[in-house]
Order: sequence, then structure tokens, then C-alpha cells
Amino acid sequence: MTDFAIEAKELVKKFPAKPGTGDKNADSTSTPTRRRGLFARKEPKAMFTAVNGVDLQIERGEIFGLLGPNGAGKSTTIRMLCTLLEPTSGTAHVNGFDIVKQANDVRRSLGTLLAGERSIYWKLSGRENLEYFAALYHIPATVAKQRVEELIERMELKERANELVEKYSTGMRQRVAIAKALLARPPILLLDEPTLGLDPQAARRLRELIAQLKEEGHTILLTTHYMEEADLLSDRIGIIDQGKIIALDTPEGLKRRIDQKEVIRLELTGWHDEIAGKLKSISGIENVTTRQQGEADLWEVSLQAQNSRTALPRIVEHIGGNGTRLVNMNIVKPSLEDVFIHLTGKALRD
Amino acid sequence: MQTSLTPRSLGQPGILSDVRAFQAILGREWRIFTRYPSWMIALFIWPLIFPMLYILTARALSGPDGSGLVVFMKTTGASDFIGYIVIGTTVWMWQNIVLWDVGFSLRNEQMRGTLESNWLSPTWRFSYLLGHTGPQIVSMLMFISITALEFGLLFGVKLHGSVWMILLVMLAAIPSIYGLGFAFASLVITVKEANAFVFLIRGLVMIFCGITFPISLLPGWMQSIAKWLPQTYLIHGMRAAAFSNAGITELLPDLIPLLLFGTFWLVVGYSTFLWMERRARRTGAIGQY
Repeated sequence: MTDFAIEAKELVKKFPAKPGTGDKNADSTSTPTRRRGLFARKEPKAMFTAVNGVDLQIERGEIFGLLGPNGAGKSTTIRMLCTLLEPTSGTAHVNGFDIVKQANDVRRSLGTLLAGERSIYWKLSGRENLEYFAALYHIPATVAKQRVEELIERMELKERANELVEKYSTGMRQRVAIAKALLARPPILLLDEPTLGLDPQAARRLRELIAQLKEEGHTILLTTHYMEEADLLSDRIGIIDQGKIIALDTPEGLKRRIDQKEVIRLELTGWHDEIAGKLKSISGIENVTTRQQGEADLWEVSLQAQNSRTALPRIVEHIGGNGTRLVNMNIVKPSLEDVFIHLTGKALRD
Repeated sequence: MQTSLTPRSLGQPGILSDVRAFQAILGREWRIFTRYPSWMIALFIWPLIFPMLYILTARALSGPDGSGLVVFMKTTGASDFIGYIVIGTTVWMWQNIVLWDVGFSLRNEQMRGTLESNWLSPTWRFSYLLGHTGPQIVSMLMFISITALEFGLLFGVKLHGSVWMILLVMLAAIPSIYGLGFAFASLVITVKEANAFVFLIRGLVMIFCGITFPISLLPGWMQSIAKWLPQTYLIHGMRAAAFSNAGITELLPDLIPLLLFGTFWLVVGYSTFLWMERRARRTGAIGQY
């Protein structure tokens, strides 16, 4: 029996590739196979590799952030760990139980938040939802009653616990969904994008709750594509891209990797793609990423430089004219997002 | 980083826990059912509308003096043509509603997003499908009772048999009707859309099972097919119990095939569910909508 809360070795998940989607990870050499025509030879069916050899060792009591853009393999990894998906190859243990051979023990060890507010019944009240899921998690009736009241109180739902969930705000629904995950007081929590779609205040309260849950001893695997959230909450972070963990360290450790680099943030109007080419041609400049700020013609451009003092005059020279105007410029400390850009050459929200 | 939180959750596995989980699923289904008042309205209107189509057609075809109806009753052996039609159409509606309700139960949960959160618990997964069946059977009993009441009050249809015998025939038909529903529910999760299949089953029952006419009128090959459809025995048995005062002995030729078909369809339904569950683990079909 492994001593880690979660341990995955060489975890791989492949799905049949959808024809015509041009999946970058499509692999025509993989099984399974299909037959065309009655007597034709079997030809390999193209497969899409969503998770490609993930290794993880998450200690008990740790918050582990799994960070990556949409489609990187975060949710597929979580779905394998919570037994919704079977790995194509590799093994994983959750609370010491094998995710394939001891799936029910794994489910008993986990509290999982997937699909957020959609994971509860909108035609039931908050209390009815929790009572229902308590029964599904085999919590004895008397314990369940007490636990439901405890969680209603903790999630600040008491005033409206008997109202139908369809009348709740998104933040309240998310709190019911989290209470559902906590019902059986599971040692391990899998939280998939817990703050997605929440307003800033609700997201902040949820982050505080996650920190409290860690203090209470829960092991938490958190997936997010919000860098600040992962930075704030996680003891360690795994950055996943194209199904692979490309870096794994503490947030500080990850940031130290590009300590020797400086990050220049520019705000411009009148951005056009040729400017990117010009900026990249400047010696010592790498990883130019852009993001439009709202609907206005205002762009944030991020560059990593070996030496900002040498690069700045040339940057200013290249972006002047042609309708482009520099509005603001800062030299900032590298963030996790810059680490991600450094590792993958693209921004997290791309 | 060892902590004081126990590595075991509050859950206590065991048969009693699974029974309590099943009760919770039944309770949830019933609560949700009663929170859509439009379903209650449908419960009163549908039993009248569909049989009326055939009853009015029969009246129109019977001629000005109604002599056609006499011939019809002679051919069918029925004492009441309205009752004869109502039983056939009610069985058709029963199967139809089961295909939509039970057949699409998992799919509806999948689209709502709740299927995964149920699937994540340690409860026996087939109980989610079984749980949909309980309230469905209760609502169908209400549907059939309302049908009997409405046609009794509005058209003077009278029962010439035992209610218990009718219930016995219906009970014997439940495994085959719902077994088909289970298989259907599992297929719908896989293929995501199954309207064509519902229409096919409904069409088969409508044409081959004699919902408004005796199957003796069908050509031989069609009668052979009718013998392989449990709804044929259900309709025949219910008519015999309701209007010919048939007892258990007279009903055995219908009850035995119904139980045999029931065993077959339950096995098919459960096997299809297990196949779907395995396939969903490989392909991720549960979370796709």
C-alpha cells in the first residue's frame, strides 16, 4: 500500500480522434482498430492522446495545483483518478486504492467537485440535495442529519437551505456542490476548476475555504487555469500541457526557474501582428505574448528579456509609428504565468 | 505532511446502506416528478385523447345504424368496443411512456450534469436506473386508473372482471416492459439520440400487437411476429381479465409468456447497462453531452 494520498505512474489516456478535427496529439499507430468493408484488413483507428504519461505523487495534507490551459489534460487526469475514466495504460492509487481494481474504495475516499453548479439537482432544495448525496455516500442516517446541518451552517446556506436550488445564485450553487463533496468527510478532495464562473468576491471566499480545508487535514488536488489561484493556494504545482506534466515544483521553485529573466509588460493601442515579428527579432527578447484588454483596442503585450535595460530602447523604436501607440510599460517580477510562457511558448489562456 | 484527518470517510458500506441509497433515489425522483405540475395535467388529458382517435374512427366506420360495431364485436369477441380499444391503446401508451421516461432517464441526467456526480458515489450504479422505475410505475398506475375512471364516467365502460386479475397481468408484464426500457436507457447514453428507435418500437406494438383489432386479422407471418412481442400477451390478458372475467387458469397462456419474456428482457436490460458502464469508463461517454 502506497503512503501517498495520490500516486500516479505513467498514466495514459487515449480517445478515438474525431475525424477532421486535426488533433495535434492524434496518433494513427495506436489501437483499437476498425474494419472497413467485409473482407478488408483491419486498419488502425486514429487516437487522440489526452494524457500522455503523467507521474504524480501527492502527499497527505498537501494542496497540489494542476495547472494548464483548456484541453491540456487536467480534467481527464482528474476523471481517471475519480474512477469515471479507465486509463489506457499506467496505474494510479488514491488513498492507497487502485483506481481500476478498487474503484469503490477510491470513490469512498474522495470528495469530488466536477461540473460545479451543474452537479446538483436544481429542482431540489439545498438541504434535500445534501440529504440525497449523504445517502449515496452511505453515511448512516443519524450521522448524515448532523453532517448536513453542519455543512449548511458552514456554507452560510441556513437562511435558504429549504429553497429550490434553481433560485440560488451561481456562488450559492457552487457552495452546495462543495458541501456535497465534503459530506462524507473524505480525506482527499478533487476540485476541478472550483472558482470557474464565480464573481470575484465568491471566488475569494471559496479560496479561503479551500485553505481552511487544508488546515483541517484534507489533501486537495486542485485544477485551475487561474495562475494567481494556483500560486496562492498550492503547496506544489504541476504544469500540464498537451497531456504531459512539463514542470513540477513549489510556486516559488517554479518562479526561480526564470529568475534570471525580466518580464516587460506593455500596453498598446493599434496592435498588428507584424510588430510581434519585429519584437522577437530583438536580441535577448523571447516569448512574446499578447492579450486584448476588454473590447477596446488596448493590448497587453508580455515579453521576457535577458536584460531589460538593453532591450527597452529597441522595443520603443520598433513599436512607434504605423498607428501603434505605447500607453504603458512596466518591468515586473516573473509570475507563474511567465513560467508557463517560458515553458510552453504560449499564454495559459490561449 | 501527515495530518490528523482519518483516512476513512464517514461512509459505511453494506447492503443496508445500498438499500437506503436506493430509497433516496426513489425519493428524489418522486420529489422532482411532483415539482412539475404540467405532468399532472398530462396525466388527465392523455388517457382520453389517444383512445378517442380510434373510438371516433370506429364510430365513423360503423355506418349510420352502427351495424359495423356489431360485426367488430363479433370478430373480436368483445362485449364493449370502447373498452377493447382503450386497453390496447393504454398498453401502447404505457410502453411509449416507459421508452421516453425510463429510456431517457440517464440521458436527461447526463445533460443536466448530475449523472457524473451520482456515478462518483460508491452506490451500486444500476440503482440509478432502477430508481427511475419506481415513481414511473406509480405514475403509470395512476395513469391507468384515471383512464378507467374517465372512460367509466364519460363512456359508461364497465368492468366485467377482477381488478386483481388485471393487476396480476400488469405485474407480469412489468419486467419485459421495463427491461426493454433499461436496455434502451443504456443505448441512449451511448448513441445520445434514439428517437428513431422509439418510433420503431411504438410502430411494432401498434401494428403487430393488435391494439385496436384482433391479431387473427393479420397475415400468418405477421401473427408469428406478434407472438414474439410481450405486449401482445399483455393486451390479450388484460382484455380477458377486464371483460371476460378470466381467472388465473384462463390467464396462464398470457402470464407464462409474459414472465419468460420478462426474464429475457431483464437480462438484456442489465447486460446492456453493464456494457454501457464499461464502455463509458473507456470512452468518457458519461460526461459527454
